[in-house]
Amino acid sequence: MDLTRREMIKLSAASFAAAALNMSLPRNSSADEEIVVDKWVKGTCRFCGTGCGIYAGVRNGQLVGIRGNPKAATNFGFLCVKGFKGYMSMYHPDRLKYPMIRSEDDKFHRVSWDDALSKVTNKFKELHQKFGKDSVAFYGSGQCMTEESYTFNKLWKGGLRSNMVEGNPRLCMASAVGGYITTFGADEPAGSYADIEKAKTLFIVGSNMAECHPILFRRVARHKLQDPDNVNIIVCEPRLTPTARIADIWLPADPGTDLAVFHCMARELIKNNWTDSWYIENLCRFSTGAKVVDFNAYKQFLEQFTPEAVEKITRCPGANIKEAARLFGSQCPTMSLWTMGLNQRTRGVWANNLMHNLHLISGNICKEGADSFSITGQPNACGGVRETGSLCQLLPGTRAITDAAARADVEKSWKIPAGSIDPKPGFHTMEMFAKLGAEDDTSKPLKAMLVSTTNPAQSLPNAPKYYKGMKDAFLVVLDIFPTRTTQLADVILPAAFIYEKGGVYGCSERRSQLTQKCVEPPGEAKADLWIAAQIAKRMGLEKLIPWNGDDAPTSYKMAWDDYRECVKLTEHTLFGITYDRLTQMEEGLQWPCPNDKSPGTSRRYVRGHDPLMNMPDIVKVPSSALIYFYGDKQHEGKANVFLRPYKGPEEPPDKDYPFFLTTGRVIEQWHSGTMTMRVPEIARSKPNAYIEINPSDAKEYGIKEGDMVKISSRRGFNIMPARIVKNSLPGILFVPWFDQTWDRMINRVTIDAFDEGSKQPEFKICAVKIERVGDPKDVADMYIISDVNTPFPLKI
Amino acid sequence: MVITGSVIMVMPGSDVVVEEKLRSFPQVTCHAKSNSGMDMIVNVEADNHHELESLCQKIKDDIPEIIDIGHVYINFEEEIQKIESGTWQNYYNLND
Repeated sequence: MDLTRREMIKLSAASFAAAALNMSLPRNSSADEEIVVDKWVKGTCRFCGTGCGIYAGVRNGQLVGIRGNPKAATNFGFLCVKGFKGYMSMYHPDRLKYPMIRSEDDKFHRVSWDDALSKVTNKFKELHQKFGKDSVAFYGSGQCMTEESYTFNKLWKGGLRSNMVEGNPRLCMASAVGGYITTFGADEPAGSYADIEKAKTLFIVGSNMAECHPILFRRVARHKLQDPDNVNIIVCEPRLTPTARIADIWLPADPGTDLAVFHCMARELIKNNWTDSWYIENLCRFSTGAKVVDFNAYKQFLEQFTPEAVEKITRCPGANIKEAARLFGSQCPTMSLWTMGLNQRTRGVWANNLMHNLHLISGNICKEGADSFSITGQPNACGGVRETGSLCQLLPGTRAITDAAARADVEKSWKIPAGSIDPKPGFHTMEMFAKLGAEDDTSKPLKAMLVSTTNPAQSLPNAPKYYKGMKDAFLVVLDIFPTRTTQLADVILPAAFIYEKGGVYGCSERRSQLTQKCVEPPGEAKADLWIAAQIAKRMGLEKLIPWNGDDAPTSYKMAWDDYRECVKLTEHTLFGITYDRLTQMEEGLQWPCPNDKSPGTSRRYVRGHDPLMNMPDIVKVPSSALIYFYGDKQHEGKANVFLRPYKGPEEPPDKDYPFFLTTGRVIEQWHSGTMTMRVPEIARSKPNAYIEINPSDAKEYGIKEGDMVKISSRRGFNIMPARIVKNSLPGILFVPWFDQTWDRMINRVTIDAFDEGSKQPEFKICAVKIERVGDPKDVADMYIISDVNTPFPLKI
Repeated sequence: MVITGSVIMVMPGSDVVVEEKLRSFPQVTCHAKSNSGMDMIVNVEADNHHELESLCQKIKDDIPEIIDIGHVYINFEEEIQKIESGTWQNYYNLND
């Protein structure tokens, strides 16, 4: 690179950075042309749920760079390391390029698409005949495109008449869905990311945003730093994470005990009159869950949660809770943000309810800078799975499948006979895998499963319990790399990466954004939508799923239009979000967006902001109402403030298993590491999982930095290096879950107990014990499963 | 060679100090700063991504007034050439 060219690249790169701040540089003319690409294609990042806008650079038919889109309303041009580098896994030599069927020698062999699809559909038909319509399940992902989830959902529920449809958002977001629906009668937040910069107090709960949603965290940190004396940050989280380090108040409650903290905060709000009487009178309905009570009953209920009592339950200092309540209630507007720490619990729905309680009684919702906001973990858990209703109990528009009117509406839209959709929900994820098994096993009603874009053999809690079912059943996997799940499969169908097909993602703030196809997939890999449509065609359902052509953009647009029409007259309407508009707009659109003139909705339930407030054909709202929760099943426009009793985790520590184990992500790696571990720079920076231990615990157990430690639960064990860190409190251990290495797959240890309401498992909390088993050992092997025929490590 | 377009976010009122301290890092080129002085537009240059990460960490460690270094664009010139020449297999083998 000569000096001139280098200087021009530097200027050009600086111009991109300046654009992110809406600044211009003094000498940026003609610099853009110097980063040589044939075209920059607009899209979204395919990792976390922030929904960062990107531009993908294409040269000679290959993706050669990613840059942030400075006009994107989510990230303003900034990206994290995964966003920049993750796409490089697209070109990894391990990419699955050809369909494969496991043969009698127990090895996978390459076959044609025709043979693979015939094998799949013939088997599905045979099982339907032998065992009924509910013997074959679909298990999707919050990383599938919206069009793909919608199509599989339509194929199963409308075509095969089976509600055996689930997706991995059950593992990460189901409690947030349950919380929104039970409190407000409708899923997803009222506000937007833009509330971050308007809030005076930010309450971050069960979320290590700094590592898991780094671009959103950047917005929070930037807001704080611009006015450090007047912007307050409260973090409730058992670990002193990078997120907690910027907090004014840290609430270090033991895992699973924070229901008591939230009730205590509510008590303080009321006691100190940091409440909003108009909201309480007009927008709140107090409920035990079984019956409606009044505000006084709620006050009396909260009396048990004094700061002193709660400190004993949670180990969180009572003084911190009181100060947090003061900031929450008196330094308004207040916005709360949370992720898996609140959701992945046996009391996840309740925890979500109690967060909403705080906002409702203090009037911190439906105002600029005030919202009760669940951040989604995956890029399309909201748009793809929640909104398309691709869970066993839902229909498109997040409508309940038990709702006869909703079924009738969907049947009409899908042009299938009335009564076609089964009113009985299918199995939720944990039940699905528990009931998956061999044809001759009468205890297992599910005989086959099609898994798309997810890796349940690594991501399910207490995973080994479910391996036999996966192995014994007829398992079809759509993916881009070999994984622990492909090791158990019968058929592997090679899928396309997001930039090889395009489609819509919907992020945490109800925003839909279109990624346009950039390049062709490798080998014979195909877009997931094509695979779904070909399966439909071979099962005689071509009329239901007609978008089976070879041109991906055309097929994805057809599916999107079908979906828009299906949810046109629902609270989640995105009828006005057309491909044409998404192509033209830099920042996408937020639903509700009922027509092609609508600018979308940044704040729901508020007259003047939410178009549905004046659309009686969708929801009925009194003309005098300024704020109205129109999802309220009592048709009073109110939200439920719940008197949920305190309940701790399913498996608290005891004398045999004296530690809390909590698990999570790290900034570099994504989920089970199948993509990010294939980017050498990322792999080197986090090459293996490890166990974080507080120094006092390490001392007690004779463990030094790097020593090999065995961590055991009642279900299984791992062996991995110790990291002695002060950011985990005594008694609390942390292990990231990206590592595919058998010894370090932490979901061999976690518990599969789940929330009774949301059916979401308690990944975040279980009881374990530890012992030192050896001196430091180099385990930075950056392990990945490279060969589809690598044997599964466990004899099944 | 990796070249970034980045924004360095600094503590309020510390921009002049940070600019001065950045002079000891020849890999960093400052282009402009925002009106508040809290955001500085820079390039960071490194031999490879790994070195880039280490360098950014060292900058943050050495200059405590820096809150964050956020990259908006990273130019991967050599990797682009490898993609175009179809030598990605070598890229992985060489680096593993």
